[in-house]
Amino acid sequence: MTQSPENSGRETPVPSAATLEKELEKGWKDHRSGVRPSSVSSITDDDGEGRMVMNFGPQHPATHGTLRSIFTLEGESIVEADVEIGYLHTGFEKLGENMTYQQWVTVSDRMNYLSAINNNVGYSVAVEELLGIEVPPRCAALRVIMCELSRIADHVLCVGLQGMDLGAFSVMLWSFEKRELVYDIIEAVCGARLTTSWTRVGGIMRDVPEFFPDLVYSFLDEFPPIIEEIHGMLLNNKIFVDRVKNVGTVTTEQARSYGLTGPIGRSSGLDVDVRRDRPYLGYENYDFKVPLQTEGDSFSRYMQRMEEIEQSLEIIRQAMATLPKGEVVHDDFKTSLPKKDAVHKDMESLIHHFKLVMLGHGIRPETGKSLYSCTEAPCGELGFFIASDGSDTPYRLRVRPPSLYNYGLFPRLVEGGMISDAVAVLSSFHVIAGELDR
Amino acid sequence: MKSRSWSAKTASTVESMVVEMSAQHPAYDALPADLQSKIFEVFEHQGQVGMRCNAADQRTLLEHFRLSQNYDFLVDVTAIDHLGKDAPERFEVVYMLRALQSNHSFFRLHVWLDERLASLPSVFDLWDSARWGERETHDMFGIVFDGNPDLRRFLMPEDFPGFPLLKDYPLKGRDERRQFPKVVARGDRMVEEEPDPYPTSIGRQMHTPDYIEEVRRDSKPRE
Repeated sequence: MTQSPENSGRETPVPSAATLEKELEKGWKDHRSGVRPSSVSSITDDDGEGRMVMNFGPQHPATHGTLRSIFTLEGESIVEADVEIGYLHTGFEKLGENMTYQQWVTVSDRMNYLSAINNNVGYSVAVEELLGIEVPPRCAALRVIMCELSRIADHVLCVGLQGMDLGAFSVMLWSFEKRELVYDIIEAVCGARLTTSWTRVGGIMRDVPEFFPDLVYSFLDEFPPIIEEIHGMLLNNKIFVDRVKNVGTVTTEQARSYGLTGPIGRSSGLDVDVRRDRPYLGYENYDFKVPLQTEGDSFSRYMQRMEEIEQSLEIIRQAMATLPKGEVVHDDFKTSLPKKDAVHKDMESLIHHFKLVMLGHGIRPETGKSLYSCTEAPCGELGFFIASDGSDTPYRLRVRPPSLYNYGLFPRLVEGGMISDAVAVLSSFHVIAGELDR
Repeated sequence: MKSRSWSAKTASTVESMVVEMSAQHPAYDALPADLQSKIFEVFEHQGQVGMRCNAADQRTLLEHFRLSQNYDFLVDVTAIDHLGKDAPERFEVVYMLRALQSNHSFFRLHVWLDERLASLPSVFDLWDSARWGERETHDMFGIVFDGNPDLRRFLMPEDFPGFPLLKDYPLKGRDERRQFPKVVARGDRMVEEEPDPYPTSIGRQMHTPDYIEEVRRDSKPRE
């Protein structure tokens, strides 16, 4: 592109502060909102009042992902906190508007990459509800089992990282070891460990292998001892307990107003759980409790996750005992992909397959219909708002990531505390950047 | 597996299901007559209820839902861009509300918003979750929520001029890249070029003759 005189820009020899200020002002006047960015974007020195602005992240090891916090410090206490997010923004929602309903399952893996199955299931449930189709009982039960396994892996990892951040490194190693058991099952079921893409709209990729029950039952035997081990390791660790007790206390009112869900909401006394309040995939048939804590501090978030692991184990036990036999894909092949063997053998399945995967054919929900659907992901309520215009791609696909609303409270929570408290709060919040930024 | 019921926690009998379907949403029924007249459509899909209103009535209705009916949980705020579609206005801002006290009753409020106005009163004082929900909607659609104290860029960089979820925002290619300032060599100096003015904007469609002409002009090889 040719260089026009208006386009000459500013030159690199650093301009004076006043010029920079003016430039910034000008830039933000042009911007639609006219709102100026408030935070200074680099480390600055004393401003004369003994305060210092410090960047915490996006590359800090304790942030577990590309999270950037900007703390204004007085000594070691945080006077003012601000966060900047978007470092992992990949435009999942925009992609959703340009991919077919089946294709976007793959994108959903990349949101909460620690429990990709929960995202797959959440998205599939949303599209199925929009279309009004029901999955076969075996598929629903398998989804429940895999979701709960994935939830356990997510929670145990979070607890392990919380230990790592707060002076109990072995807990992290132990939790990683036990988490591998879950990933073995996931690998056996869908071939991948992290980016599973396991579900399809109207069913799942394929039925589980024959040795699936053996794997799950051996997991149910091998896993539970770790709960006691972690408790023993952390609750007797004075450093850990002192650093998490009464740190980052969330009140029930704050949790409700900021839209906190999942373990963080429940640990502050907000009694919400989508699995119980709006049962999906037959969760109403399983007998499980929703643990609640009242304190709302980092310690209760740890306890909350450990108690939820026990409930998830309970759900898996019940689901395995009552696992029905039968098909795993909805039988209307106008919306769900036929089996791969059938595609290779008979003409009709091949046609169905072709119609579903070719752009411009696919699944077509009714024109002008929209639906918000939510499921309980490990971090909280994972919602999908889908609006259809009758074509084979969603007209609008909105993800309500639990981490986004959970993280909204974080800057308010760390203000007034110490930097080390911010680490304790952040690790107990378990914010997944992939999901936060989408 | 029966499909999920959205207006009440459990629908134990078939009878109650029928009653539910035929009745309006409890939130609509509890509205006083003058506010009821401001909602001009109550629609339903798979048992989930949505209501439509105009931008002028959005604040009054949401205040009523929060303060009088105790819809204390704002699940999400988002928007839909109806560019080039047969819709009354270009933007549709969606508020998803839930009452935790009364059976987790849920509904959506869809607000039609004129693109020339593209601004709505903020509701951050009613629900704190609106602070970030509105901020993201602003970042993605350019809709301004008046009164929101923190309406900076959210997911996009702070010097980014475009609004990616608008339907006329290009999906890939040159137009997307040229949003960013670039550093070029001029003589012995490195100079930062200003980014081009945003090629697509609110109220302008892609693939108009002007737009295509602009793309053609800009894709000439560099001198």
